[in-house]
Amino acid sequence: MSAFDHIKIVSQLLDLPIVDKDERFCGIVDDIELSGTAGKEARVKALLVGPGAYQGRMLGWMFWIVRKIAGDRMARVPAEQVTEIGSVVKLKSRAETLGLHQVEDKVRAWIPRKGAL
Amino acid sequence: MNPLELTLGIMTAVGGFVDISELVFAAKAGSMFGYALIWAFALGTIGMSVFGEMSGRVAAIAKQPVFNLMRHRLGLKLGLITLIGSLISTLITCAAEVGGMALLLNYLTGLPYLLLAVASVAVLMATMWVLPFEWIERTYGLLGLLMIVFAVAVVAIHPPWAKLAGGFVPQVPAGLSQKQLLNYSYFIVAILSAVLFPYESYFYSSGGIEEGWGAKDLLTNRVTCTVGFGLGSLLAISILASSAQLFGPINVGPEIPGTTALEAAIPFGKTGLLLALLGMLFAVAGAAVETCMSNAYAISQFFGWEWGRHAKPWEAPRFTLAWIAVMLLALLIVLTGVDVMSLVEYAVLFSIIVLPLSYLPLMLLANDKSYMREHANKWLAKSLGWLFFIIVTAAAIAAIPLYLLTSGGGG
Amino acid sequence: MRWILLLVFLLAACSKGPQADLPYIGQARSLAAEWALVNEQAVEGKLTGSYVQTMRQSAREQLQTCEKALSQPQSDYAQEITAILKQPDDASPAALRAHARKLKRIEDSLESA
Repeated sequence: MSAFDHIKIVSQLLDLPIVDKDERFCGIVDDIELSGTAGKEARVKALLVGPGAYQGRMLGWMFWIVRKIAGDRMARVPAEQVTEIGSVVKLKSRAETLGLHQVEDKVRAWIPRKGAL
Repeated sequence: MNPLELTLGIMTAVGGFVDISELVFAAKAGSMFGYALIWAFALGTIGMSVFGEMSGRVAAIAKQPVFNLMRHRLGLKLGLITLIGSLISTLITCAAEVGGMALLLNYLTGLPYLLLAVASVAVLMATMWVLPFEWIERTYGLLGLLMIVFAVAVVAIHPPWAKLAGGFVPQVPAGLSQKQLLNYSYFIVAILSAVLFPYESYFYSSGGIEEGWGAKDLLTNRVTCTVGFGLGSLLAISILASSAQLFGPINVGPEIPGTTALEAAIPFGKTGLLLALLGMLFAVAGAAVETCMSNAYAISQFFGWEWGRHAKPWEAPRFTLAWIAVMLLALLIVLTGVDVMSLVEYAVLFSIIVLPLSYLPLMLLANDKSYMREHANKWLAKSLGWLFFIIVTAAAIAAIPLYLLTSGGGG
Repeated sequence: MRWILLLVFLLAACSKGPQADLPYIGQARSLAAEWALVNEQAVEGKLTGSYVQTMRQSAREQLQTCEKALSQPQSDYAQEITAILKQPDDASPAALRAHARKLKRIEDSLESA
């Protein structure tokens, strides 16, 4: 499915995994930003990725716990970056250029690069 | 279908089927109720085959592992509840397996239990770091085939075969008191939980993606789940049957996990004892690895991190940290001194409660033609899948009341 | 929610007296029988030294746990468990099994009460 077809936000987009152009996992569609107003056509403007995006989807006290554990960072992936929506969302760029993979790259520095076959 | 790959897959499934919970409950069930609970193992195995086949098929066709589709189907809030519940139950199970390993090494070497727990975790972590996925799975699965000594042992003690075969028929033994009936019901729930542990399908489906399964692997998947799991369950049933004949008549529960090894020692002496202890050790070690990786898969897939042991540890850094953290937490639980039998009870209890929420999204996705195309569930998989979903839901509802009323099956 | 709490309180109220000790009596009965089986197989040369030693140690430790957990320390089953603990590590299987049978009789009579 291309990004510009009609789409069912909850059953076909929300909470799907995201892969970048190198087929690396770089997050989940945690929330969606829409353009348009009431009575007008709504378009998917951007995908919101990161624990900060949970704020609109859970109760206040739950988000407080999430923020304490994982922080509230959020990356905004413009809809134009999406090439395909199927069982995963595929992006046309690398994760780093979209502000994704930051924590993965930080954690990578802690992992020794030895010993694995 | 590559015959060598298929044979290795089946053998790995056989050797990897039994874990510490099945060892404990098979021996107790045989001693308390004779052959009357064999059908519960058989029923659980059919359920495991059904859900295992479905999760492997979803991995091969939709290319989605269980926790991605769980979040997508259940949504964030319900998905988080399922994730947390499953993390807790699988962590407790992992701790039980680590404790079981330490106990078995204690029987083999006489060295202190807590020291052996630390050593076990160190060895497990080293194998998970060094070996790629396929060799992690194969090593423990194939070494677990030493458990076949239990199947040979039950033949050697000449059980009443007609009575044993009768145990495959669902039944309620006649003449049970109310207390015994409650115990019998608790054991049915516990056995179903031990066989259908959620971590098994998480690990199996993620493993399918690790190994790059596609449509060409569907037959391998089906045969592994039916033949592999079926033969594996015969090992658990052998333990039950030997216990019925050897332990029941002499008032042995058993309460000590090591007593099960006597089932092979009685007919075969020291050789039987050593094969049994080693088989149990590798089966339990394999389960420790599977539970640990299953939790790491769950967290990574739920939050969209890089994951898998097809990658080097530094290529999936948060996944690597996750499995290291799970293994260390499991060790910490063991080091508190809580006994392995208690951990097994809690693992079984928590797991059955989480089971319906774990299998529901799998059922929904395997039925969904937009992801599965012509490989969506046909009538047989659909009917069996929903039937077992109803069974596990009923078991989940009954689990806590039965646990309280029977003091965890102890009367 | 209230009826769940009521059920929990009722269950808690039931856990006093010999009935509350039933799980420990059952465990002790089994542990004595397992100890007996280990000793029997050890005499026949079917077991390794480390296995025999660790199994005896496990049986003893768990029996001690059962003894401490009993709510009726002066009861006949408590005295039976104390008597088992006084046995030497290589006690005769027959003696251990006799204790196990006594505990089984007590267990059965409490269950049918």
